[in-house]
Amino acid sequence: MAGEELLVVRCQLGEREAFRELVATWHPPLWRYVRGMVGSPHLADDLAQEAWVAVVRGLPRLRQPERFAPWLFTIARRTVADLLRQTYRAPETAMEEARTVLAEDELGGVLTTMQIEAGLAALPPLEREVLILFHLEDLPLASCAEVLGVPAGTVKSRLHRARRMLRNHLAEKGYEA
Amino acid sequence: MSEQDRAGQRAVPEQLERALAAEVSLRSRLRHVAVGLAGGCGAAVIAVLWATEPHPLPTRTRAAFATMIAIGLAWAAFAGWVLSRRRPLFARDRVLAARIALAATAVTAPAGVALAAARGSTADLVATAAGGAVLTAAATLTLVRARRRRRELLRLRDALRQDAP
Repeated sequence: MAGEELLVVRCQLGEREAFRELVATWHPPLWRYVRGMVGSPHLADDLAQEAWVAVVRGLPRLRQPERFAPWLFTIARRTVADLLRQTYRAPETAMEEARTVLAEDELGGVLTTMQIEAGLAALPPLEREVLILFHLEDLPLASCAEVLGVPAGTVKSRLHRARRMLRNHLAEKGYEA
Repeated sequence: MSEQDRAGQRAVPEQLERALAAEVSLRSRLRHVAVGLAGGCGAAVIAVLWATEPHPLPTRTRAAFATMIAIGLAWAAFAGWVLSRRRPLFARDRVLAARIALAATAVTAPAGVALAAARGSTADLVATAAGGAVLTAAATLTLVRARRRRRELLRLRDALRQDAP
């Protein structure tokens, strides 16, 4: 933990070489979260880059470097939410894109070896993101609550519902849950 | 999981590295600091020249002065916007920028005062000196705060280095 905080502080100081390390450390979990939410690796690349730009621009104002992880995922979540808002606002072009993503997803589902990740794609966004943050990113409950902007109790109930939905989905697909 | 997924999880894409290198560029930040200060200080000197003009100026000359002041202020505002939203200064950059700002005001303020002393009335001189003093004090305060923030972060960095394995 001290190592991660140290990296953030070095970036806030303006040590340019620390940025490369920060991105190398946090890009994989950030990308995995975005990928889990949008379903397409190309879209995930674009959104992750957008999120990183926002992170770099906001970093000098981050007052608690030890809270970097929840702050990072909050920004990523906002980036994904902006995309979803645009998707609903411009139904025609966005639906085309969504169909493409879905098609890629179905193909990906055939090739995937990780049952959980395959199951995630079938869950609604709220349930999907809480599972990604808690189980795949290993964020503590309080940090999940901070990222999602809801009380910890809501995170617990959402997690409970998400696990049940995932279990049902995997059972339908013939996996042992 | 597809090949693209594995690649995405493994490495930082080159395009992202390039984009972030541009985002954190110190040169770009200092360029905007310089542009903003040049615009602001230029506008201030032109304003002193205009205010201390002994005879009434023709309309065209007044319009030219006003335009130049507006252009200078516009550059200062643009640089301020970039440095607050697009390229925010990190702690060390802020100290560097504050030093440059202090040097710029330390040159501009006496230049303005000298112009006012040579060309204007006592009231002009007092107003210019007061304006110069306020700008220099603001630059000094910015430098003090920037150094304090950098010191805090340096202290935290050193403490964390001792804690880190």
